[in-house]
Amino acid sequence: MSVGCVFDIREFTVHDGPGIRTTVFLKGCPLRCNWCHNPEGLSPFSQTLRTVAGERLVGEIYTDEELARIISRQSSILCLGEGGVTFSGGEPLAQAGFLAEVISRLEGVHVILDTSGYAPEGDFRKVVVLCDLIHFDLKLMDPGAHRRFTGVDNAPILRNLAILAELGVPTVIRVPLVPGVTDTMANLEAIAMAANTLVAGSISAAGTGSLVRVDLLPYNKAAGGKYTACGMNFKPLYDESVECRADTSAFDRLSVPIRVC
Amino acid sequence: MNQRLREMRERVRAREHACFRQSSPPDVLTPSSAQNLSWMKRAALLTRMQCEAEKPVIRAGEQLVFMRTVPDVPSYDTPAEWEARFEGGRPHELGPISNICPDWSLVLSQGLLGRKSVALATRARFSADPEAVEFLDCAISTIDAVLDLTARYSSEARRLGRTDLAEILENVPANPPRTFRESLQSLLLLRAVVWLSGHYHVGIGRLDQYLWPYLQADLAAGNLDADGAEELLCEFFICLNKDSDLYPGIQQGDNGQSLMLGGVNRDGNDAVNELTRMVLRAARDVSMIDPKINLRISMKTPLDLLELASELTRQGLGFPQYSNDEVVIPGLVAHGYALEDAHDYTVAACWEYSIPGKAMDIVNIGAVSLPAATDKAIREGLAKGDSFEGILERTREDIFAQVDAVMARSGNIILPPAPYYSVLMNDCLERGSGLSKGATYNNLGIHGACSANAADALAAVKRFVFDKRSMSAAELLEALEADFEGFDDIRRQLKDDAPKVGNNEDGTDTLLARIFEDFADACEKHSDRVGGRIIRPGTGSAMYYVWLARGAPSMKEPVVAATADGRKKGEFFSSSLAPSPGAKVRGPISILQTYGKLNYNRICNGGPITLELSDTVFRDNESIHKVGMLIRSFAQTGCQQLQLNTLNVETLKDARAHPENHRNLIVRVWGWSGYFCELSPEYQDHIIGRHMLG
Repeated sequence: MSVGCVFDIREFTVHDGPGIRTTVFLKGCPLRCNWCHNPEGLSPFSQTLRTVAGERLVGEIYTDEELARIISRQSSILCLGEGGVTFSGGEPLAQAGFLAEVISRLEGVHVILDTSGYAPEGDFRKVVVLCDLIHFDLKLMDPGAHRRFTGVDNAPILRNLAILAELGVPTVIRVPLVPGVTDTMANLEAIAMAANTLVAGSISAAGTGSLVRVDLLPYNKAAGGKYTACGMNFKPLYDESVECRADTSAFDRLSVPIRVC
Repeated sequence: MNQRLREMRERVRAREHACFRQSSPPDVLTPSSAQNLSWMKRAALLTRMQCEAEKPVIRAGEQLVFMRTVPDVPSYDTPAEWEARFEGGRPHELGPISNICPDWSLVLSQGLLGRKSVALATRARFSADPEAVEFLDCAISTIDAVLDLTARYSSEARRLGRTDLAEILENVPANPPRTFRESLQSLLLLRAVVWLSGHYHVGIGRLDQYLWPYLQADLAAGNLDADGAEELLCEFFICLNKDSDLYPGIQQGDNGQSLMLGGVNRDGNDAVNELTRMVLRAARDVSMIDPKINLRISMKTPLDLLELASELTRQGLGFPQYSNDEVVIPGLVAHGYALEDAHDYTVAACWEYSIPGKAMDIVNIGAVSLPAATDKAIREGLAKGDSFEGILERTREDIFAQVDAVMARSGNIILPPAPYYSVLMNDCLERGSGLSKGATYNNLGIHGACSANAADALAAVKRFVFDKRSMSAAELLEALEADFEGFDDIRRQLKDDAPKVGNNEDGTDTLLARIFEDFADACEKHSDRVGGRIIRPGTGSAMYYVWLARGAPSMKEPVVAATADGRKKGEFFSSSLAPSPGAKVRGPISILQTYGKLNYNRICNGGPITLELSDTVFRDNESIHKVGMLIRSFAQTGCQQLQLNTLNVETLKDARAHPENHRNLIVRVWGWSGYFCELSPEYQDHIIGRHMLG
């Protein structure tokens, strides 16, 4: 029995994977992405959100059994709806032990892990093998830029991406397009190369290949919308007024399946 | 839709045709008084003179004709005479028969001349019965009036060189239609005369069933292709919007021009056909408020049909509304409807179930204020030191008392004679007895309004006063008396820390189900199970979610002050079947699972679960597919009726002004969605701006 902190459970999240899905948002994240749009998911602790609609306590403690029960009660609808549950965050792997126990309690429910990939190798391996599909955020390939814009090193992320290739877990790589930061040609080319290592038949791909496709998520100017409510300041290090570029050519050249969302 | 139809729609939207409207209706009162006509004869004279006063309007390019030029319906009685008619009883709403659906299949297939022969045959049989003779003569006179009006339209068509139209009008509605176009023309005219006779909320019924034979024949013969048929259907729908501002209703658009699609035929076999899909496409393309589309579904309904329906939902008109055959049909049978008739159900106007041509049910004689029942029980029970079970017992007693009061108030409803409407029903002419004397089914409906707030109030009391004992009865009573002024913390606990309906939690859902069981028991007490009048309990709120909270002129139900679910005095209640405004719920799956727990065999009058989806949910085909599957989940969970709304700019603006009412409003922002009310104002503006563009 373990407990975890959840900042939201939302049903019919049509953009979080195939079919009818319920998304569980786990609280706490080791990254500090400059463009983060879920600032209430950063702290691992419960906190009070102060909004025009009033105050709301964010971050509820669940036992693995309680959370699994909430999801299981919906499983007949999720299954018939060709969907399942998505664990997002925050960074869900920051609560890897809890998460693994919750997933182990689910029977016949399709599970997606929506992760930054930043986690100790043991935690990463433990959880991904329990999942049906991984949504893997890949932001910046340059280590320095990654540290600058997310606050952490990208080496563990790239190592974990290689583990997905090794294990053959189906993976969608998701790239948030931030103007002038992640949407540069150099970065997209590097991401395309990294993605290609997960493509079946590519020189470096191990096993059958695990890449489903790459999703480019164009930046939206409302990313900073929730900072005030969290008592934080939103300070983008990039120019929000610039349109981001959703250039797929680097992926097309390598025949990496690509989609702009 | 082609250019011609797009222009036509714009002209109708601009109400350009209003220039043909006459300033005053015919004087029916003077001849009625001078000849001292009976009530039946006055009703027939009204139809006749209204038809005579109509001026044919045929505009260039129109394939289907008729629009009202007499905007008003005159009175055939002085106010004193009218009042005296209802001595010993009372009128229902405005008086004239409303909120039912004709047997369009029968009338179209027989034609008015066919109906006239039926009337004449019955008249010969009942020649010794003066009441029957008078009714049948009056019915015949209205048939002749419609035929005369049609003849004037056809002359006008000839004068304008529109031979195509003239030939159609020379055949219908007198005779059965020979083509799909004729069937639409016949329907358009026949239903308009119902309205101009003073009736309202006239159902269009199962159009994909009764028009399909005409379309099928045309398609088979190669007289018409699918595109041509869809064009005619679009024009028909545009025409239904021409006079809609003349219809009485609570709000613009509340006119009950409801159309039912899909489901099963009278034998219980799947009835979906190509016309079902065509209507969904036409309604999507026309995108006007009429007709209101309903779709009967089951677990077996193909997903592509649900996806097509979702494309219509995307237009943001709030329809189609879905009904679950697997729940509705057994519910109707349990309330005395024959299985074949139950198979044939439609909605009367908004959501109440009705049988075309056979039901003279009055589906909305009043409402039970469920929040009033629980509020009174909570206040009295807490003051007297009741157990929680004692409070539930008081709730039940109050629901019974309210149903008794509705029944006493409704007393003897007297319906004015309706000779023309009788022509369109299943067996009035056949029996020689007018519709106002009754049809096959003559049941009554009462709605249990604003149920979520009622159950939430009980759940909060149970949690804080009885289970956790963290709040004393006296404290809660004081807070309610004070409308929570100075009791912010108590209010916050009641609002945020109490279980709420819509989260698929057995505690609250059991209370909700129990309230409806009590309500069903109370209605059953007044039902005559042996071939008599049944009282049908329903789950709709209509305007009661506003009225019960704030009061309304002539409202008999009590206004409810602050309630134990943390709602302040004056705040709206939940509408039909939806979580209380502002209650925190996880989303549509839990809401459907909550409402799937109700026993719809006992509450069969209708009243939809109301779900709001952001229009950004409908962005691509994959999302449309998901909405289709969500609709199937509605059937899967055993719910009865579903209304899916798409959020639009107006909702977003209202959410900005009144965030407390929109705490669950979710908008898509980037690769993510957020609660609209938790975004900073500048971001809210940004999203509103985006929606206005989109």
